Amino acid sequence: MTMKTGITMAAEGEGYVAPGPASFDFSEVPLFELGGLAVTKPMVQLVLGAVIVFAFFYAAFRRASIVPGRLQFAGEAAYGMVRNSIGRDIIGSRDFAKFVPYLVALFFFLLINNAFASIPAIQFPTFSRASMAYALAGLSWVIYNGVGIHKHGLIGYLKLQSVPSGVSPVMYPLLVPLEFFSNILVRPATLALRLFANMFAGHLLLILFSTGGLFLIEYGGIGYVAGPLAWVLAIAISFLELLVQFLQAYVFTLLNAMYISGALADEH
Amino acid sequence: MTDHIVVAAAVENPLGFVPVEFALSLVTFGILFFLIWKFVAPRFEQTFAERTQAIEGGIAAAESKQAEADAKLAELEKQLGDARHEAARIREEAREQGARIVAEMRETAQAESSRIVEHGKAQIEAERQQAITSLRAEVGTLATGLAGRIVGESLEDEARQSRVVERFLTDLEAQNGTTTGSVN
Amino acid sequence: MDGNLNMIGYGLAAIGPGVGIGLIFAAYISGVARQPEAQGRLQSIAILGFALAEALAIIGIALAFVL
Repeated sequence: MTMKTGITMAAEGEGYVAPGPASFDFSEVPLFELGGLAVTKPMVQLVLGAVIVFAFFYAAFRRASIVPGRLQFAGEAAYGMVRNSIGRDIIGSRDFAKFVPYLVALFFFLLINNAFASIPAIQFPTFSRASMAYALAGLSWVIYNGVGIHKHGLIGYLKLQSVPSGVSPVMYPLLVPLEFFSNILVRPATLALRLFANMFAGHLLLILFSTGGLFLIEYGGIGYVAGPLAWVLAIAISFLELLVQFLQAYVFTLLNAMYISGALADEH
Repeated sequence: MTDHIVVAAAVENPLGFVPVEFALSLVTFGILFFLIWKFVAPRFEQTFAERTQAIEGGIAAAESKQAEADAKLAELEKQLGDARHEAARIREEAREQGARIVAEMRETAQAESSRIVEHGKAQIEAERQQAITSLRAEVGTLATGLAGRIVGESLEDEARQSRVVERFLTDLEAQNGTTTGSVN
Repeated sequence: MDGNLNMIGYGLAAIGPGVGIGLIFAAYISGVARQPEAQGRLQSIAILGFALAEALAIIGIALAFVL
């Protein structure tokens, strides 16, 4: 295994320890204990993210008036963006309203937690902990399936999701299991893993370029050229990461809306 | 550093399932969703609806104002039309009246002129008669005087005189009946 | 040089989804260029296609770590 070799080398005081999954494991360095439970940095971030999101919206709408102030305007722009461009445009104006709080909470919760990767002094994307992403994906799986079953009944819903339209029944034995697999089983897994993998890989790249740059400078020789270059690249990657953080929050929410809208679709 | 490395040697799989984190994520997001659903979403929708209503109300008010202005304008235009009509009517009437007055005046003037002419004629006739009468008297006296001188005979007797003159004039008139009209 | 064969496998496996995602967005861009008013409809379809193609890469990364 990569890690073991790298670590052995580091322990011997020679060579560079490449960042790996260990950089994301906080289980042995908890911040504090709470009721016998080790509380790690990502857990604190998760709660902090939720508090920030709610505080922002609560402050923005606490004294909501018809003519908005600056904070209320920002809150409305943020809320309206998710409400209109994700909720209304994807789910449709007929029954998007009851999903808007879910989508808004989801989008901004993800956004702030992803942004933690680039916020100084925190600098860790919460959802690079896969289990946290599993939770949100699992919740969205429950929601979109629940909504579909509530509307069409279990059999009707399974038929809607598994039987493709406009295909001759001869193809059903091939397509029905595939559609079922794709629509019911793969969706939550890809949702969670897409978020996790993007955050994980982005953060890994950043660690690699920053610590690698430092190592090269300490190494001397050609490292005096390559090290700063690596840091410049790290800055460039940070900006790319900002884009990815937003995009992942957006895609996660958008796909949630699409799955809900697909579950609500009229039978064809 | 060494501690950390020893720890890292037993590193977990990054895809591994950590129940605590899973549960915490669910609970945190659940609470966040509940708070957003309970406190934020209704206020946003309410504000949004109020604003929409305010804007629509403003539009409605503006529309009613516009309608009012249109009505007023139409009324003014109607009044203007009426006034124009009235003016045309008055002008027409004035013209008619003027024409009538002119005609009346003309008539009056004509009547006056003819009256004056009549009057003149009558006066002339009267004067003519008077002249004739006085002339007749004069002519008698002159003729008598002249005749008396010529014949030398006494014609002092008034009655005879006048009889002779009358006879003479009657003869004269009968003789020159046609020329009397051109005496004037 | 040391490493994990799984990761090489994953790198190879990511080629397919990478090409697929490129094709999807190429089609999306040319579609929007031809008919800018259809952007809203195309965008959701493109994102859905992107999600499906990326699912393969994601399954790949999961297997790379698990196997």
